[in-house]
Amino acid sequence: MIVGVARESRVVAALGRRSLSVQFRRAQLLMPTFVLPLLLLAVIASGTSAGRDLREFPEVSSYLGFVVAGTLLQGALLAGLTGGIALASDIEGGFFDRLLTAPVRRSSLVLGRLAGILGLAALQMAWFLLVALLFGASYPGGVLGALGAGALAAITAVGIGGLAIAIAIRTGSMSLMQSIFPFVFVLLFTAPAFFPRDLLTPTLHDIAAYNPLTYVVEGARGLLQDDTSLGDPLLGLAAAVGLAVVMTALAILALRDRARRA
Amino acid sequence: MSAGTNSPAGVVAWAFWLRSLNEVTRVRGALIGTSIAPLVFLLGTSGQFGRLVGLPGFPTDSYLSWIVPLCCLQGAGFAGAAAGANLARDIEQGWFDRLLVAPVARPLLILGPVLGAITRSMVPVTIVLVVGLLLGADLTGGVLGIVALYVASAGFCTVAAMWGIAIAVHFRTQQAGPLMQMGVFLGVFLSTAYTPQPLLKGWLADVARFNPVSHVLELGRQSTVSGIELSLAHTWPGVVSLLGMIAVFGALALVGLRRMGR
Repeated sequence: MIVGVARESRVVAALGRRSLSVQFRRAQLLMPTFVLPLLLLAVIASGTSAGRDLREFPEVSSYLGFVVAGTLLQGALLAGLTGGIALASDIEGGFFDRLLTAPVRRSSLVLGRLAGILGLAALQMAWFLLVALLFGASYPGGVLGALGAGALAAITAVGIGGLAIAIAIRTGSMSLMQSIFPFVFVLLFTAPAFFPRDLLTPTLHDIAAYNPLTYVVEGARGLLQDDTSLGDPLLGLAAAVGLAVVMTALAILALRDRARRA
Repeated sequence: MSAGTNSPAGVVAWAFWLRSLNEVTRVRGALIGTSIAPLVFLLGTSGQFGRLVGLPGFPTDSYLSWIVPLCCLQGAGFAGAAAGANLARDIEQGWFDRLLVAPVARPLLILGPVLGAITRSMVPVTIVLVVGLLLGADLTGGVLGIVALYVASAGFCTVAAMWGIAIAVHFRTQQAGPLMQMGVFLGVFLSTAYTPQPLLKGWLADVARFNPVSHVLELGRQSTVSGIELSLAHTWPGVVSLLGMIAVFGALALVGLRRMGR
């Protein structure tokens, strides 16, 4: 039993490493994942900062520090989606079929890919928080708050990755995966990613309550700003972990279905 | 007959146009990203930042009216970028190599996909406009305003298609898809996307002033924004900007195309 777990752990680690190295081998293709959220952060922080003058806007130490939680969330979404696109590429190229014939547990193939996504997301979150800090964001929650917010977002990336992997396995189409890209922003904007929930229009305010990412972004914001009135970190953790567990199960089920059909 | 080829240019362009339109019926979800995503983005953004119209200096009291042309341009831009992603797929699968040895002028190989992208882009533009109007956006520019919006959208789709094709012939992989879409996002967001020029702060105010997409947005906003009345002064900068961007990205695409197969 222990030997089996150890062996599968090695498989997961190896597949995770491969997933990361394949993505970094063509680093220019990772640019959107690492650069786009920062550009959006810059644009939103500059383009909508006038919103801080609204009466209902909460007191925060810096507007950049407030909206960076949305950037973490966006990074998580992109990291998960990138993992799904890379898997679709493996499927189209035939590599994934070879993996399916290997004497390893099918779930390890999914977990390996998710390990790669987790690694990528961790790097992203550190990068985003550091760059925002250099450009004037303040984190009253300190290092622990920043670590906690980064961890919340990285776990969320695993959940989104699970969803992207499930879609990639079921469709095996990179074209479709590419067209899912804009939906990243749908998920992002139906959560209070860049504006407080109380300032959203009533309809969106209601919808946001059903989006698990709402609790993740608010939790990250609470941790960064050391202010639980902005968001409950425990609620955020529950949402992120719940998403990761459900989506991972979905991806494993999709893989089993595919193997049965093959 | 085209100089140096054996095929009538019009027939070849027509055939490639029809082939690129086949994407809509044969590729699952080909229209999902370009049609539904801008729509949800419209709802999400207007819900997220709708309160900004309360700030002094905003030219309209309806944020939906402000954001409809932006979302039309986004939808058109995604449709254009998809032309690049589809070309990258054709290159990866070897289909494009066969086209390269065909006795047709190389510009015709991209003219068809560009025309197909413009045709496809009319779907999201119309959906966003109709839904926006149904939800209460103003139609201040009348019929001529709508014409201006469609010209802006079709022109921006052409720009995005040329950009996508330039990326496709350079990287020759579908994994460059996010890079194509990132170009569209950057073009749109580094402009007067969320707030008018007077409300922009810091570096974005300067970038948006020189970003040609700001002028294209102004061209389109003559349709729905009460503070931007239909006039030549609001029209010609957008048209000139479109022509300039098409010339630059078209040249990049053609240079890349010429390098292929050498």
